[in-house]
Amino acid sequence: MKRLGPLFLERRLAPPRSVVFGVSFLAVLVALLLAALVFWAYGVSPVRAYSEIGRGTLGTVGGLSDIVRRAIPLILCGVGLTLAFRAQFWNIGAEGQLLAGAVAATGVALFVRVPDGFRLPLMFLAGFGAGAVWAVVPALLRVKLRVNEVISTLMMNYIMAYIVEWLVHGPWKGPTMRGFAYTDMFPVSARLPLIAGTRIHWPTLAVGVLAAVVVALLLSRTRLGYEIRVVGQNPDAARYAGISFASVLALAMVLSGGLAALAGVGEVAGVHWRLRSPGHVSMGYGYTAIIVAWLARGSPIAAVFTALLFGLIFAAGDLMKTTLGLPFQITGVFNGLILFSLISSDLLMYWRVRWAPKEKAWTGQAGL
Amino acid sequence: MRKLAIFVMALALVGVLGLGAQRIKAGFIYVGPIGDYGWTHAHDVARRIVDGKYDWLETVYIESVPEGEVETYIDQLVRQGCNVIFTTSFGFMDGTLAAAERYPNVIFAHASGFKRAPNMATYMADFYQVYYLNGLMAGALTKTGKIGYVGAFPIPELKRHISAFTIGVREVNPTATVHVRWIYEWYNPAAAKEATEALIAEGCDVFAFTEDSPTVVQVAAERKFPSFAHYSPMYAFAPDYVVSGQLVHWEEIYDDFLLKIHQGVYTTKNLAHVDYWWLLAQGAAELGAEMGMPINPKYVAPLKGYVVNHPQFGRISVYDLVFLRYNQFADPGITFDPFEGPIYDRKGVLRVPAGMWMSYESLITMEWAAAGIVGPWPGEP
Repeated sequence: MKRLGPLFLERRLAPPRSVVFGVSFLAVLVALLLAALVFWAYGVSPVRAYSEIGRGTLGTVGGLSDIVRRAIPLILCGVGLTLAFRAQFWNIGAEGQLLAGAVAATGVALFVRVPDGFRLPLMFLAGFGAGAVWAVVPALLRVKLRVNEVISTLMMNYIMAYIVEWLVHGPWKGPTMRGFAYTDMFPVSARLPLIAGTRIHWPTLAVGVLAAVVVALLLSRTRLGYEIRVVGQNPDAARYAGISFASVLALAMVLSGGLAALAGVGEVAGVHWRLRSPGHVSMGYGYTAIIVAWLARGSPIAAVFTALLFGLIFAAGDLMKTTLGLPFQITGVFNGLILFSLISSDLLMYWRVRWAPKEKAWTGQAGL
Repeated sequence: MRKLAIFVMALALVGVLGLGAQRIKAGFIYVGPIGDYGWTHAHDVARRIVDGKYDWLETVYIESVPEGEVETYIDQLVRQGCNVIFTTSFGFMDGTLAAAERYPNVIFAHASGFKRAPNMATYMADFYQVYYLNGLMAGALTKTGKIGYVGAFPIPELKRHISAFTIGVREVNPTATVHVRWIYEWYNPAAAKEATEALIAEGCDVFAFTEDSPTVVQVAAERKFPSFAHYSPMYAFAPDYVVSGQLVHWEEIYDDFLLKIHQGVYTTKNLAHVDYWWLLAQGAAELGAEMGMPINPKYVAPLKGYVVNHPQFGRISVYDLVFLRYNQFADPGITFDPFEGPIYDRKGVLRVPAGMWMSYESLITMEWAAAGIVGPWPGEP
């Protein structure tokens, strides 16, 4: 507790939902005002900028579908991360797990002989498996050797990115690509269907939303979910209660990595139809998803909405480049401002300002 | 009366369409930032040149577009009213083709690819002749017999350029070698610096490269080693050490293409076989580190002083040989090609039989390494 003149600053243990929403909304508003200053300094009227952005993103079918398409990988990675974060396992490796899924799906799409109807389901299965394996390694390192998972998951992202780079430059380089670093195009049976008139690969979207619901139920209604939460909140209590730290952590990471990998399957099977340089397969979705999960405060359902929010932010950034003719760096500035104010608003959620009468009045009362 | 009204309306419509066809709004989609001082910068310089030249032309651009997102941006440009769209990265190829099918009334042109459609052409300004000329100079200037080359990606374009460069080197210095390092990025000054230093440690004393920054030129100049500029004018970065280089003039292609659309020569129906492959002769490529300066004056004397016994021309200085070859390339009939057989690759396989030239197809799919190249060569047949 801290006194600031007539005010008391009090710590709040669990901010009510209304406060979380209110403060986050205010934070976005502040960021938009700050960004307005940047627009204005660049010679673009902020009113025009925001009306163009509003019309281009939320006002057209094309704009809306773009938001959803960008949100799909964020939903899957974000939902997976909420699970890991609830176990207090700081999985920074969604990017690498996503790429692992993309690699496995490409392998099935191009090199496995399988009846056409089974190809896509097998791609999703193989992708999930690859992501799970990639994610369970840091969990085991943590359990067996006490290796800090922030470092190990982050480093495994680089390893997977270089594996992808090696594959597209080396053994998987497509004979029909004239020497450029891409695999061949997937056969039609390995391409996800799109919602007509948009580029939304709806099966991945459906899997993502379903995953959010299942993970929410898992966390709140099942024994595994309970164990994950206990392990996260108090590992000692968990051990005392006979919960196996190792197997709970491993299971949480299998699911977390597997879900991130499904996002990778969706990107190669629904957007690119081939494997290409890692930086173009995923535009940092695995990293953005960390913030998606963090803003969702560990709730998988909320992660769907925070993912959509980020889809909107990305789409708004695109529009600034195209219709407003701002330099591409402005996108980063805009995204950064929103993130920065959202993250710093956290402080406001956990501290409550209370109007308190002056100490003098209190001592006066005691004196009587 | 009704018929008359329809007639008038039809006439007005024809008028509107006719006027519409005269005006062009061209959208450019770039893979990198326009400030990269390489590929994207050069396309944007060209865009501004043609934009300023014609009052019937309006241009817009989008920079730093990820390869998988090209369709989204094409959609936005079409919504803004663009009727001609240029996409300037190989990775945009399939997205551009899909968009060309979706928007049959928009004209597309894709740089460096090979897929075309009735409303989609392809274009490329290539440097292999210029690299060969740079190679002749490099071969004359090396004292250690080792020339360093920092490459971006091991793709046919670079393999063609490095092989042409090496063929030039060996024409005047048959025992010299070209040492290659790949950095797997188009723009990465830090990696380019490391690669250059590694090549210096290996004993290289002349440098050429493919990367979108002047890093290699600067690092070499610090150690007083000569180098060849890439893509943009880099003379100013090291006036004492930049010998020559490769410069591009995309505006020659954009000008020709847009003018032909304006004149009605190119339409949305007849582009399936329109493929620009423009070299020195068409002015799309230029020899030099600075516009209008093919060879740094500081290096004229050493190149004039390096005289070789050429199998075809007898005793000739490298300076004269460079301009002799240059004129053969600039001749509209092009009387020489760097890949004139017999050419063996570094494994000893005969790649171009005596007296033959390589076809366009085999040039753009080239994977082998010319004799004299040292270092990793992913995908080597």
